[in-house]
Amino acid sequence: MTGHEAGTREEWLKARIELLAAEKEHTRRADELARQRQELPWVRIEKQYRFQTDEGQSSLANLFRGRSQLMIYHFMFSPDYTAGCPSCSAIADGFNGSIAHLANHDVMLWAVSRAPLEKLQAYKQRMGWTFPWASAFGSDFNYDFGSSHTEEQLQSGATQDNFTIDMRPMLAAPEDSPWVQRIARASGVDWPTYMQEAPGLSAFALRDGIVYHTYSAYRRGIDAIWGMYPWLDRSPHGRNETHPWWRRHDEYDAG
Amino acid sequence: MSATQTATREQWVAAREELLTREKELTRMEDELARRRRELPRVRMEKGYTLQTADGPMTLAELFDGRSQLAIYHFMFGPSYSAGCPTNSSIADSIDGLIPHLMARDVTMICVSRAPIEKLLAYQQRMGWSFNWASSYESDFNLDFGMSFSEESIRESLASRLNELPRIAHQNAASSGTDIFGYLSEMFGFNTFALEDGAVYHCYSTTGRGVEFVMGYYPILDRMPKGRDEGRDFQTWLRRHDEYESEIR
Repeated sequence: MTGHEAGTREEWLKARIELLAAEKEHTRRADELARQRQELPWVRIEKQYRFQTDEGQSSLANLFRGRSQLMIYHFMFSPDYTAGCPSCSAIADGFNGSIAHLANHDVMLWAVSRAPLEKLQAYKQRMGWTFPWASAFGSDFNYDFGSSHTEEQLQSGATQDNFTIDMRPMLAAPEDSPWVQRIARASGVDWPTYMQEAPGLSAFALRDGIVYHTYSAYRRGIDAIWGMYPWLDRSPHGRNETHPWWRRHDEYDAG
Repeated sequence: MSATQTATREQWVAAREELLTREKELTRMEDELARRRRELPRVRMEKGYTLQTADGPMTLAELFDGRSQLAIYHFMFGPSYSAGCPTNSSIADSIDGLIPHLMARDVTMICVSRAPIEKLLAYQQRMGWSFNWASSYESDFNLDFGMSFSEESIRESLASRLNELPRIAHQNAASSGTDIFGYLSEMFGFNTFALEDGAVYHCYSTTGRGVEFVMGYYPILDRMPKGRDEGRDFQTWLRRHDEYESEIR
């Protein structure tokens, strides 16, 4: 920031109006992409998935709770983790405030994780969240939707996160890297165990009692719901990051 | 939604990968926009402003609260309102949880409105938010940044165009306990400032669809089978989070 040019109001306005044209172009492209997402074909879900919820065992269709659309945030919290992933926790801090609005616009938003329900409930209470969170403990659900991987999948490079991606280079992160230190250790596991989970979004539709998979996104495809990033992208310093700096909201130093 | 073709998993993956290419282009476009925003010239603030907060009067520099960046969301809550605007309230729901993370990146996020501070604090308590909310009731701040207007000027510019306004403007005015002129005397928008060597600089400003990034439900709806599903009557489905009839489950 130091050394940044100061300008007059007129200079600023001229530059801002130029930038606005580019921002509007981006908004129109984003609208067009949203339309193209709606044109994706739907895949009928044949498999029966079972989830544990606060209200007991639930099928995938039951998670819709009377709505016709379901969004799942695949929250990284495996049975081995002692606490939810800090990155997913920052994402949840954002969408937690939107669930009431979505639920009243025909969209149920759930988080789904592989850890047993009791672990999820305890962590949710610690973080003060209200979104519904289902456990896929013992279910193939998170594996089938590319957000959990077996050790064999990871070692062979046959991972489906972002459809086809070899995560072996990432698996080789050194023990002293900030990712390992801050993100895996903060979840109570080593790096390879941490990496068995991946963040993701999956959308489903319910029609005539049948559930269809409509959309999934991973990696930077979920930046849009990571609420702090759009703010930082408009702040004077931008994202200003070289390594993971975020923590759980109750773990930042005071001040 | 009903016209959608069903497909095999393989067909879906092929279509999804094609779409992914376009999504990645848009992500790169966003990164480029963020870079260009940081390159905007900054305007040194010569005029001093003092806003009222829960902790008493604070200057713009004091509102940075020890950080070097200040992000202000201008929340539509004017002196004539009896409650904050419902759409702005849904925005506040989206941002309240982000504050600790923004603080950790040297960004202080606050909301500013023109209603007196007592009104803001009472409404904040009702809604359960924790962000710092400052009142520009006795300050020119909102007027100078084009985020508030005198009711006379709004009456003059809108009187002949009232039926051109989107339905949400009338709905939100009624829901905020004011008339359309009182309601539209306030504007929604976003401004950022930097503090360097004791001087405050104005960096970035946006309004209109430029503030959709603070509406947490839109990026999710943009990924759902029905999309935003609101058409010309956009946002008319939004209520304050304690005013929905339907429980979440």
